[in-house]
Amino acid sequence: MKRFFVLFSLAISAVLFWAGCSKGPESNTFKIGVITSLTGSNAAFGQAHKNGYTIALEEINARGGLLGKKVELDYYDDQSRPDQAVQGVSKLVDQDHVPIVLGAYSSESTRAIVPVVTQKQVPLIIPTAVADNVMESNSPWIFRICAGSGSFAAATLDFLKNNGDPKKLAIVYENTNFGQSNNKSMTEAAKAAGLDLVDTEAYQASSPDYKSLLQRVKGKNPEVIYFASYLLDASTLMRQSEQLNLNPKYYTSAGTGFAAAEFPTADKGAGKYAEYTFSVSQWLPSAKWRGSAEFDQKYFALAGSHPAYHGMEAYAVLIAAAAAIDIAKSDQPAAIRDAIKQLNLAETPFGPVKFDARGQNLHPVLVTQVQGGQYKVVWPLDAAESKPIVPAPEWSKRK
Amino acid sequence: MLNWFYIPLQGIINGLLTGALYALIGMGMALIFGVMRIVNFAHGAFLMIGMYATYLLFQATGMSPYYQFPLAGVLLFFVGYATYMGLLRPIRGQVDFMVILLTMGLALILTDAAQLAFGADYHQINIPLLSKNIHIGPQISINAPWLVSFGIAVVLACALYWVVTQTMFGRAARAIAQNPYAAPLMGINVNRVQAIAFGIGSAAAGISGALLLPVFYLFPEVGNQFKLKSFVMVVLGGMGSIQGAAIAGLVLGVVESLTSLYWGNEWALAVDFVLFILVLSLKPSGIFGSQRA
Repeated sequence: MKRFFVLFSLAISAVLFWAGCSKGPESNTFKIGVITSLTGSNAAFGQAHKNGYTIALEEINARGGLLGKKVELDYYDDQSRPDQAVQGVSKLVDQDHVPIVLGAYSSESTRAIVPVVTQKQVPLIIPTAVADNVMESNSPWIFRICAGSGSFAAATLDFLKNNGDPKKLAIVYENTNFGQSNNKSMTEAAKAAGLDLVDTEAYQASSPDYKSLLQRVKGKNPEVIYFASYLLDASTLMRQSEQLNLNPKYYTSAGTGFAAAEFPTADKGAGKYAEYTFSVSQWLPSAKWRGSAEFDQKYFALAGSHPAYHGMEAYAVLIAAAAAIDIAKSDQPAAIRDAIKQLNLAETPFGPVKFDARGQNLHPVLVTQVQGGQYKVVWPLDAAESKPIVPAPEWSKRK
Repeated sequence: MLNWFYIPLQGIINGLLTGALYALIGMGMALIFGVMRIVNFAHGAFLMIGMYATYLLFQATGMSPYYQFPLAGVLLFFVGYATYMGLLRPIRGQVDFMVILLTMGLALILTDAAQLAFGADYHQINIPLLSKNIHIGPQISINAPWLVSFGIAVVLACALYWVVTQTMFGRAARAIAQNPYAAPLMGINVNRVQAIAFGIGSAAAGISGALLLPVFYLFPEVGNQFKLKSFVMVVLGGMGSIQGAAIAGLVLGVVESLTSLYWGNEWALAVDFVLFILVLSLKPSGIFGSQRA
C-alpha cells in the first residue's frame, strides 16, 4: 500500500511538473493581451471595447499582421472586478507571455493593475479609465490614450462659463475610483473657477434607490448637477430625478454612463429621461477626424448599433499598439515600450496620438447634449454640430 | 414651506414601501426558522431564482411581473419542498452545523449555476408602470410599482399570517415548533408539514424576487444582500415570529430610508447591521420576542 502511494505521488508530481513547465507559445500568431469587463456590471462597456478591438484587429491582419505573423487578441474578462483584473495580468503575462497589455475598462480595475504591470515590466495602454490617479505612479510602463477627469472638469466648466455661467454646483458621484477621481477634479476646478459647491453626494453604484440622495440635492437648490456615474446608475438617477421633480438648469456629467450608447435608449438606459443631459465626450461618430465615419459604419455593421467613445478608445489603443510594434520591430516588452514613447500618429480616427513624458495622450474633450435621443456635440464651437438647449425644461413641462 | 415635515414624511413613505418587500422576504425566513429551526442560507438564492424566472417569462411573453408573481411563488414552493425532502430531511437528526453548511453549499451552487447560465451581467426591465407616479400634494410623490408591490406584499403577509394561525396546517406547524417529539405522537406527519412550511417560506422568497424585478437590477448575486437583511429581520422580530419579522421589515425599510436621507446613501447599508448588533446585545429575544432565542 505504501509503495503504491509513493509511486502514485511520484506520478502525479511528474504530470504536474510537466504541465507547469509547458513552453511559452511558440505559435505563429502575435498575441496581444486584453483585459476588459465582458461580464458584470460594466458588461455593456466591455462589449463596446470588444467590438472596437475586433474592428482594429481585422484592419491590422488585413495589412499583414505584425512582424509577419497574424495578430491574435488574448482576452481576459475581469467581470467588472479589480481583483479579477489583477489575476488577469498574471495569466496574460506569466502564463501566456504577452508582450503588451491593453485595458482594463474601469478606473478601479485599471488602478489595480498599474502596479502589477509595472512590476512585471510589460507596457500597458489604457483605453478608457479616466481617474487621474492611474497616471500618478509615473511608471514608465503606463500609457493612457483618453483624456482624464481633470480635462473633463475643465471642459465642462469652460462650456458652462460660456453658456449661462451658473454659479451653484452639486456633485453626485459613485464611490469607486472613477467617481472619486471626478469628484476631486471637479471640486478643485470649480473652486478655482469661483463656483459655489452647494452639495456633494457619494453613492453606491449598484443601488436601485437614490431618492433620498436626490432629495438632499434638491433641498440645496443647485443650478448645475455634475454626475460621475456608470450606465445603470445613470439611468436610475435620471428616472428618479423625474419622480422627485428635481429641476436644475443643467444636468452635466463626466461621461461614461451618461455617454454610453445605451443611455438614451428606453430598454437599456434612461430613454426619454436622458434628454437634455450634457456629457463630456472623447469622441463621436460625427467627429471631424478622418476615419471616424468609416469606424462608425464598421461598428454598426458588426454590432447593430452606433458606437460611443468607449468602442473607439479600444480601437485606438490597439492601432497605437500595432503602430508601436511595427516601429520597434520586436516582440520584447521593453522595446515596445520605447516605441510607444516615441509614437507620433498625426491622424487617426481618434485624433492625433502622442504620449507626453508622463505617458498621457493630450486628447481634446468635447461636450455633448442628448437632443432628440441622439448625442450632439455642442462645445467647443469649432467642433459643435448643434446649439445647446439651456436651461433644461422642467420635468412637468416635458412631453 | 413645511420642508421639515414633508421631507422626512417622504422618507418614511419610501421606507414603508421598501420595507413591505423586505417584510415578505423576512417572513419567509422566519417561517422556516420558526417551524424547523433551520437557518436557510439559500433564501437569497431562492429569491434570485424567482427573479430570473420572472425575467425569462417577461422576455418571452411581456407579461408584467405584477401579474406573473404567483407563478414564481408556485415554482419556488416546489423547489423548496424538493430541497427539504431531498436534501434536508436526510440530515435532520444531525448537528445544526451540517444543515447550515448544506444550505450554504446550496446557495453557492445555485448562484454559480445562475452565473454560468445567464452570465454575470446586470439586467433591468422596463415596464410602463415604472414611469407612473402618484402625487399627493406638491411635496409627496410615490412611484407606482412600489405601491403595487406594497399592496401585494401586505395581502400576502396577511394571508401567510392567516395560514399559520387559522389553518390546520398552521396549527400543526406551530405544534412541531413547540414540541417536535410530541407532535408526531399527536398524528402529525412531521416531514410533510415541515416540507410544506419550507416550500411556503421559499415561495415567499420567490414572489419577493418577482416583485423586485422591475425596481431593482438582476444579477446572480442579487440574493446575498436580501439574505443578510432576512437574518437581521428574523433576529429583530424575535426568533421565529412571523409577525415580528414583518414589523421588523417595515422598521428596517424606514430606518434605512431616513439614514439615507440624513446621513447619506453609504450609511444606509451599515445601519442594518448596527441595528442587528444593538438588538443582539440589548434584547436578544428580539423586539417582539418572548420566544426562546
